[in-house]
Amino acid sequence: MISWKLAWRGLRGGRSGWFTIVACLMLGVGAITASLSLDDSLRRALSDDARALLGGDAELRLTYRAPSADETAFLHGFGDLSQSAEMRVMARNSGDGRQTLAELKTIDQAYPLFGKVDLAPAQSLAQATAKQGESWGAAAEQDLLDRLGLKLGDHLSVGSADFVLRAVIMREPDRAGANFSLGPRLLVADGALEPTGLIQPGSLIHHLVLMKLAPGRTLAAFRQALDATYQPAPWLFRDASEATPSLKRLLDRTTLFLTLVGLTSLLVGGIGIADGTTAFVERRLPDIAKLKCLGASTSVILASLVIQFALLAALGLALGLVIGSGAPWLVMATLGDRLPVEAHLGVSFLPLAKAASFGILACITFATRPLARAAAVPGAQLLRDRVAPAAVRFGPGPRLLVALAALALAGFTILISADRKLAVWFVIGGAIAFGLFALGGRLVVTVARLASKRPLAGHLSLRLALSSLHRPGALTEGVVLSLGLGLSLLVGLTLVEVALSRQIDEQIPAKAPAFFFLDIQPDQADLFDRTARQAGATDIVRAVMIRGRITRIKDIPVGQAQIGQDAAWAVKGDRGLTVADSPPADANIVAGDWWPKDYDGPPLVSLDSNIAKGFGVGIGDSITIDVLGREIPLKIASLRRIDWASLGMNFTFVLSPNALAGAPTSEIATVHVPPDKEAAVERAVSDALPTISVIRISDALAQLRRVVDGIGLAIRAAAGVALLAGALVLAAAISAGQRRRIAEAVLLKVLGAARADLLRAVLWEFAILGVSAGMVAAGVGCLIAWGVLTKVLHMEAALLPLPVVLTLVLGVTAVALAGLAGTFRALQARPAPYLRGE
Amino acid sequence: MTASLVDPSVLLEKVSLTLAGPAGQVNILADIDLSLRAGETLGVVGPSGSGKSSLLMVMAGLERASSGRVKVAGTDFAGLSEDRLARFRREHMGIVFQAFHLMGTLTALENVAIPLELAGREDPLGQAARQLERVGLGHRLGHYPGTLSGGEQQRVALARAFAMRPKILLADEPTGNLDQATGKKIIDLLFELHREEKNSLVLITHDSSLAERCDRVVRIEDGHIHADEPVPA
Repeated sequence: MISWKLAWRGLRGGRSGWFTIVACLMLGVGAITASLSLDDSLRRALSDDARALLGGDAELRLTYRAPSADETAFLHGFGDLSQSAEMRVMARNSGDGRQTLAELKTIDQAYPLFGKVDLAPAQSLAQATAKQGESWGAAAEQDLLDRLGLKLGDHLSVGSADFVLRAVIMREPDRAGANFSLGPRLLVADGALEPTGLIQPGSLIHHLVLMKLAPGRTLAAFRQALDATYQPAPWLFRDASEATPSLKRLLDRTTLFLTLVGLTSLLVGGIGIADGTTAFVERRLPDIAKLKCLGASTSVILASLVIQFALLAALGLALGLVIGSGAPWLVMATLGDRLPVEAHLGVSFLPLAKAASFGILACITFATRPLARAAAVPGAQLLRDRVAPAAVRFGPGPRLLVALAALALAGFTILISADRKLAVWFVIGGAIAFGLFALGGRLVVTVARLASKRPLAGHLSLRLALSSLHRPGALTEGVVLSLGLGLSLLVGLTLVEVALSRQIDEQIPAKAPAFFFLDIQPDQADLFDRTARQAGATDIVRAVMIRGRITRIKDIPVGQAQIGQDAAWAVKGDRGLTVADSPPADANIVAGDWWPKDYDGPPLVSLDSNIAKGFGVGIGDSITIDVLGREIPLKIASLRRIDWASLGMNFTFVLSPNALAGAPTSEIATVHVPPDKEAAVERAVSDALPTISVIRISDALAQLRRVVDGIGLAIRAAAGVALLAGALVLAAAISAGQRRRIAEAVLLKVLGAARADLLRAVLWEFAILGVSAGMVAAGVGCLIAWGVLTKVLHMEAALLPLPVVLTLVLGVTAVALAGLAGTFRALQARPAPYLRGE
Repeated sequence: MTASLVDPSVLLEKVSLTLAGPAGQVNILADIDLSLRAGETLGVVGPSGSGKSSLLMVMAGLERASSGRVKVAGTDFAGLSEDRLARFRREHMGIVFQAFHLMGTLTALENVAIPLELAGREDPLGQAARQLERVGLGHRLGHYPGTLSGGEQQRVALARAFAMRPKILLADEPTGNLDQATGKKIIDLLFELHREEKNSLVLITHDSSLAERCDRVVRIEDGHIHADEPVPA
């Protein structure tokens, strides 16, 4: 009870340190809450709307062929179904001939089984796509209209068919669950595909059957019946729980990134919590000493301090949770139209509980030491503490508590992360960075102490700065640590962003072809080559392509095989396969040998070495691929290290020519063209061969550019939060030293110092702080960038001094300016009132 | 402006000081006329709150007079900027406070060297060391104020005040925080240094017997000079 009374009186007694504790905790917990709440809102949307996002209770996807009548009849036995087909096509403005790649989808009368298609002007999908006169109707995303310069009522052609554009698609319920798209959506009736003339042997077309199970039919029973009847399955099966795997993966990664950045802010803020608690305790030291002299026990004092701190921490936590919970609303209000799904807004307990746990663990980790210290120091020593800090020996209790809380913080970080491996690296990296910056801070203090012992006659400003850095109770170590962590995150993430941008803007365009042409029929190949060359193409590489699906790895069905995370994408759907009797020109064979010309033994495959590693296979192992319903066992003959960033003609799977003998293949081609001839080549090929689709690399890069720009924005915002936490710690340090600074400034003025002399001392102090933090941050930031680029993004890491230097100059300037702004009051202080006050 | 030593060393004519307080304007000093010859010592006595310390602040240029004229060492303070006043103090004045006002983050040697360094003097640390030896602290050069006794701290303050060999020394209750014996030692030292330097000294004190060691004693009450009398030899 007495502790509560003392705590209450203590809180009344002064606000020193309050702001820092509350603000740091609020910022860190707020950032984590925001990240987890947004994740929760989006994940609930993905889960609640899963059937609409998939388009049914289940989806069966076939490549090249539509389901047979028997298969359709079988499926009908389980409920309603909707059939559609998807393919990449060239849509062309019938008026001026402008063309663009589009994602064509045919729909039947039953579509959509779940959710609703919104069209503008409002009409039914059947109306919009119906055939009237000679023309079929079509609905398209606004982007298609923009690219082709079309308006409603205009005509466009796809292959040999003519369409009249009747509606703009405002909302397509299963669009977010669709595969990666390179162009805008174009919806047409199922009867309109055949007239396009695009259905050729080997044309890449996906046929989808969407199922709405009849009442009483369960998904498990349906799946069981499918497996029992069709073995091997001719289709790829997805149910609503897998409606949006790529979105979920993206969400996993984004949340992990944002949570880790939020956690970094909390750790940076942790220094602020420690400094704030120190300031909070320091302000109360005289009273604590007096209470000890009056007979208060250590436990009573400790309890009163802990109660005071806990009340402040609770305020910071509560504010962080409230502000963070509001983030989904803010994001939906500002970026809602750019998100693939509409978040289901609401407050969930779990994200708040997780964020609060992080906050509480951070409090225990960072505040135990200053609280325990104040309680453990003898009364007389407390009064001398500012002059000569007591070397207090803690008992095992506080040490154990801090160690356990730090371990729990690390463990909890790993436990809640979608990517545990990355979280482990974050924890290890964070611990190393913390150690490096703590060491850096200590080094600054030691060097400042040693330097101030040197004769620095005539350098009063420098000596004043040095003495401020190493004086008893200086917050140098905390500031270097917190600012350094924030700056290193900024340097590291900036380097990653710059490297990604360089890859897209300079390195890829330098060697990438101008176009990919798809769906070239074997009998069109010669005409294609001739047309492209005549129009200005300089280098044409063609390859046979057919889609196939991996069904077994080392004779184990893929569903049961152990596959590494990096290679999991290869078994998620069907993959492009090619054949070659000789290795590609830039084949980098790292294991095994290429098969001899005219090889006629058991089918062989040359595999991407990274995929082989993820599959756990090597030379001589077997992989089985399903092509058009036929299972082909392949023996691995060689492994290649592929440079995907070249955007050249590369295949994960290259088969010996005999493996696909007789299969209906089409060809794809990469074409290099001088920039001034690109339009001519595209036009010439499209005119001569309207069924061939073309992907402009510049368009694809522009799309990638937009993604990277978005990532860049997220990176800057995230690093900004961590830097803000660093700035809070700096502000707290400046604020804590304000009384001392004013006293010093007044005294120096009395002794004859002009304001310029004082200004120089402040600049020296903050420049030394900023440069020290910046130098360590440069090193740690480069390490972060190297880790992310080489280990996560599998890119080459190059040292880019300019972004590092620029970031640091900005950081150091900001620190110096903040220091100046913070000490402005001290510089302006008039001596007399302070001397009178003393 | 070139400051030169002319008689009188300190001249205050009709000086008033009014400060704004929470309860409104407060008249601290009123119509003060005072002059001090070069080399003269002046004791200023009066009850608490009478305006003694404010008088010293005005003389030091740390407080601007609300009206009247302040002229020190031939320099009129009117219109001087804060920085020019600071430079003036650096060259011509030494000040000692009751609360010592040493910089806790600097050693005794560095504290004494501050005014020398600000003035750009040759070998400031060497000169500072000699000053500290002069006040009997040659063995405490590297000590921080927090590790020195009150008497030692005030000796450091004296060494600092005399470091620039100022022509005017202002001392505001220099023994107020010290016991009687230590206080006496400090005052003896102060007068000894004054005799060696032959500068003008203004000593503010509560202690009439201490003030009577000066050539003249001024008594202040309610911001007015009530008495200004020479001390009989």
